[in-house]
Amino acid sequence: MSRFGDVQDFVQQANRVSRFPELAALMESVSRSLGFDFFALVHNVDFAGKDILELQNYPSSWHDLVKERKYFADDPVLVACQHTGVGFRWSDVPRMITLNGRQKDILEGARTAGIGGGFTVPVHIPGEYAGSSSFGVRNGRDFKDTALPAAQYVGCFAFEAARRLLRLQALSDGKAVPAPPQLTPRQLDCVLLAAQGNSDWHAAQRLGISDQTVHQHIEDAKRRYGVATRMQLVVRALFNGHITFSDIVH
Amino acid sequence: MVAVVTADNRAKYAEQLGQMHRDRKKVFVDRFKWDLAVSGGEYEIDQFDTDTAVYLLELEPRTRGHLSSVRLLPTTGPHILGTLFPELCDGQVPVGEDVWELTRYCTTPDQPRSVTSPAGDRVGIALVEFALLFGIARYTYVTHMRLLSLLISQGWETEPLGLPKEINGQTLCALTLKISPATLQLFRRRYGYRYPVLELEPRAAAA
Repeated sequence: MSRFGDVQDFVQQANRVSRFPELAALMESVSRSLGFDFFALVHNVDFAGKDILELQNYPSSWHDLVKERKYFADDPVLVACQHTGVGFRWSDVPRMITLNGRQKDILEGARTAGIGGGFTVPVHIPGEYAGSSSFGVRNGRDFKDTALPAAQYVGCFAFEAARRLLRLQALSDGKAVPAPPQLTPRQLDCVLLAAQGNSDWHAAQRLGISDQTVHQHIEDAKRRYGVATRMQLVVRALFNGHITFSDIVH
Repeated sequence: MVAVVTADNRAKYAEQLGQMHRDRKKVFVDRFKWDLAVSGGEYEIDQFDTDTAVYLLELEPRTRGHLSSVRLLPTTGPHILGTLFPELCDGQVPVGEDVWELTRYCTTPDQPRSVTSPAGDRVGIALVEFALLFGIARYTYVTHMRLLSLLISQGWETEPLGLPKEINGQTLCALTLKISPATLQLFRRRYGYRYPVLELEPRAAAA
């Protein structure tokens, strides 16, 4: 079957799965047909929770090491996701970010656990935790560049299937749709302008409201996140995907 | 509200269309660095901005200024996928009376987020309403791979048409978005709209 045929089959099946184990089985099989040994669909955050996505089939020795050493928040592959919107080979990561000593240890640890290399598709959805879909191979194996366009598609559609299952799970638990604290559009404007370095006065000019009102929006946003300072507020808004690095740089 | 602008009522929206072409230049040329022709130094206009194009323009309720927009082209004539990127399709380029192409989705960069955000909700609903009213079964869409996750997260029933390809340094892919009444229901519920967002004029039906 052609690679594109694989993708079409996968998309149809992924749209129909109703439980995480089904999605895991589907991912195992599509990963193999694309020439990979492992897959991981995760939210790129360093805490666990019912609303946090973590579906993967990495070797258990690697999984244990990640948990024990808390290798998650600064996993260089996940950090590199913040620098691109398209899939990348793990071997490109040292060119995307400057690795610190711990991050070199993480890459070495993965090799020791038997994961030789891989390809990761970042998923950025505003207002949600950053996520990613990854495909890995065992030590000593490589994967072909020709598999990557299909892997891009599979990564995107697989993550969407996982998002849908998380929502279903939340509904059946009687919980609201899982999401980070939400900001009102006006709070979002004020946080974004603050992140861009504007004073309350400048933000007020831009938005055509009083600086007292800007101040109040920022205070309300801080309360929603349960943080004390503007710096924490901006960091949380970035982390949760309410604002992005490109918003601030532009 | 979202205006339906066709060859028949274009004159009435001349100012907003001008803003749209300026915003398209700011977004696609200045920000995304796409290699597109710019006319008069400030307008992004291409060979598909002709009388057959239909624009859905989201206008600011008070000033009637351009907030966001999308261009629709019938696939029975020249369009981006069929004319420029047929290689993005694994098989035949889907064409027909009930297949339209959506392109140049653009939100003005000049407005604060609270005015234009959540990006695309009203234009998204307008696209579905337009399709249901004018007998469109699906849209085709050429987009950047980096935008795919966002697109499918909005709830469109999306199917890829072929593997993504790197063209001029950008990874592009072609998709179809299938339209059904369920799509409209989903979008209205998600974004909290109970009423149509399309602003129709009798003559706009000439599309």
